Order: sequence, then C-alpha cells, then structure tokens
Amino acid sequence: MTDTPLTPLEEDDALAAEYVLGVLALPERLAAEARLKTDVDFAARVSVWVAHFAPLNEAYASVPVPPDLLPKIESRLFPKASALRGGWRLWLAGAVTAAVVGVGVFMLMPQTAPGAVIANLGDGGSALVYEARHDGSHLMVTRVAGAPAPEGQTHELWVIAPGAAPVSLGLLGTDPLDVEYPRPPAGWVLAVSVEPAGGSPTGAPTGPVILTAEL
Amino acid sequence: MNATAQIRTETCLLLERISRQDRTAFRDLYHSAGPKLMGVLLRILGTRSEAEDALQEVFTRVWLRAGRFDPSRGAGMTWLVALSRNHAIDRLRARKPEQTDDGVAELIVDTAPRAETRLIAQGEARRVTECFDTLEPARAEAVRGAYLDGLSYESLAARHSIPLNTMRTWLRRSLLKLKECLEQ
Repeated sequence: MTDTPLTPLEEDDALAAEYVLGVLALPERLAAEARLKTDVDFAARVSVWVAHFAPLNEAYASVPVPPDLLPKIESRLFPKASALRGGWRLWLAGAVTAAVVGVGVFMLMPQTAPGAVIANLGDGGSALVYEARHDGSHLMVTRVAGAPAPEGQTHELWVIAPGAAPVSLGLLGTDPLDVEYPRPPAGWVLAVSVEPAGGSPTGAPTGPVILTAEL
Repeated sequence: MNATAQIRTETCLLLERISRQDRTAFRDLYHSAGPKLMGVLLRILGTRSEAEDALQEVFTRVWLRAGRFDPSRGAGMTWLVALSRNHAIDRLRARKPEQTDDGVAELIVDTAPRAETRLIAQGEARRVTECFDTLEPARAEAVRGAYLDGLSYESLAARHSIPLNTMRTWLRRSLLKLKECLEQ
C-alpha cells in the first residue's frame, strides 16, 4: 500500500498539509503561497489543515513580552498624526514667511525624490496626480500634478491590505509626505481621500476617495 | 462558558474591533495574545531578539489584516498563531544555511515532549492526540516536531537519519493517515 502513488487530490492535500506544517524548502513554499492566492480549492484545504493542527497550539508556552515593543509597533503603524500635523503647521508658518518675502514659488519647484516609484495615483490624464516612491524604509508621496486640497480640507493617504480596512499613512499637503513604512507588497492599494483639515476624525476615510492605485 | 472559550471569544471581539481601526482593542490584544505569540515565535526562531523582531511584524500584520479574519472559520487565537507560525517559518526558510534551525529546535524539543503530550491531552485536543497515536511513534514525533518547531524536511531527515526523499514519502503518508482519522 505504501507503494501506491498518491492520487492528484491526495497530492494536493499532502501539499496543503506540508505548507501548514512548514516543512517545505523556500522555493516550494513560495510556490504554495502563490497558489493559495489563486486556487480557492487549495486555500480551502490549507484552512482545513490549520484547523486540524490547531489543538497542537496548546503546547506553545506563553512568554512575557518586553514592555518597549508595543510603542515601537504603534509608532510604525500610526505614523504620528500629531507629529505630522505639527510639521504641517510649521510648514504653513514657513510658507507664509516665504510668500511675504516673495520666494514662495521655490516651494513648488519639483524636488528629486529618492527611491523607486512604486505607484502613481491618478495616472491617465487626471488633473491630480501623486507619485509614491519607496527607498527601502521610507514611503514618500509627492504631488506631481494638480492642486492641493482647498482650504479647510486636506488629502489623506491610506494603505489598504487585501480584505483589510484602510490605514492612514498621513496627510498630503504641499510638501511631500515622508513616512517610515515597510514597502507594501503587490496587491495592496494606496488611496487618497478628501478629509477635513487635520485629517479624518475617525481614523477611517470619511470623505470621498478620489485616487487609488493597486501596487 | 469555561475560561478557554471565554478567552477565544474575547480574541474574536478584539479582532473585529481592530478591523474597525480601534487602537485600544489593538493594545488589549497585544497584552492578551502577545505572550502566546511570543512563545510561538521564540520556539520556532530560537532567539529572543529575532522573536521580538518577528512579533513586531506579526502585530503590524494583525493591524493591517484583521478585516480578513473570519470568525465562522475558526477561533481568533488559531488565526493569530497561524499568522505567527507562517511569518516565523518564512523567516527560517529565508535564512541562508538551511540547517541552522536544527540545533536550536533540538534544545527545546528534547526537554519538552512529555509536558506537551500532557497538555495536548486536555480538552478538545484529545482527538488529535488519539489520531497521532495511530501513527508510528517516530512518525508522529516528526509531524509534531515539524509543526511546533518549524523544522524543514532537511532538518527532519537529518534528525531521523534517513534520506530526504524517504522522509518526505514517510511524512506525506503519515499526514494523509492522520487526516483520515481526524475526519472520521
């Protein structure tokens, strides 16, 4: 019996189990991960195995977590709305001063941003275009066409993982937005919404979403 | 409702709130589930510093993906542990010399199996234990070691002193046998 080759269904099932166990070498593991995204039947098999093995999770002991980790995670996820807003006010003050002495126009000169372009929000002849770049640790979003949001409003940038709720990455003013953020993988979406000045009061987009780009 | 079931329900509720961008819920989940997930990551990755790095990444993903959690398909904690195991194993497999994970796992496994068996024998896990018992002991141990310690086929083959292909055939047969038992 041990010599009988597996049927194709058994092969799929064994592969799903191997993926959940984690025994596969990297190339096979990556192939299984790619298949998960497109093959509903395979994904269902994987879910079944996750449930089958779940009782083993009781064998994992709990280990105290270091107290300084949560603030690190939070500062990574919630790129300091307060700091951004503070910076915005500071910039406004600077812009006013610059306008007074008649050099305000320099603020609008295109800047050479570092990093590779990962998305263009508002391609294809739209009046407003933001360009997103990533340099390995920072996401930089620059307005390359169109006007900033009218007074009393602001543009807000969101990142959306597949099936997840949007997460704010900060406010888009006249100067480029620069946040420390891991490079979003393919399939994620960047979006821009119009919000009241100071940004969304709820933490989720409240105004119209005017631009989106899938990575 | 017993204590375990209650914790599970709480985890589901927290994940639901996190999917609606609730930062207080995120913090609560970090405190309630963090230690367990840290245990998973530490056991698979072997060092505190790497486990801490991984925990940051795991909680980042929890925040971004909480909306994908579907309570009808399993407990919140199961989803969290699966996410943590996946991330830890991705890290292990991406390491350059493939065999570096073995020494670490060995260290922990050798002291643990008895306590583990006792733990697993509790509650709803009894069924899995019974099905593991239908496998030859060495094979059951290989499946369990692969799951809990994130061992690769290479490490398993080395540990059981058999060729890699034999190990794979062996393990695949055991998995299908296990499934047959679990789904009876």
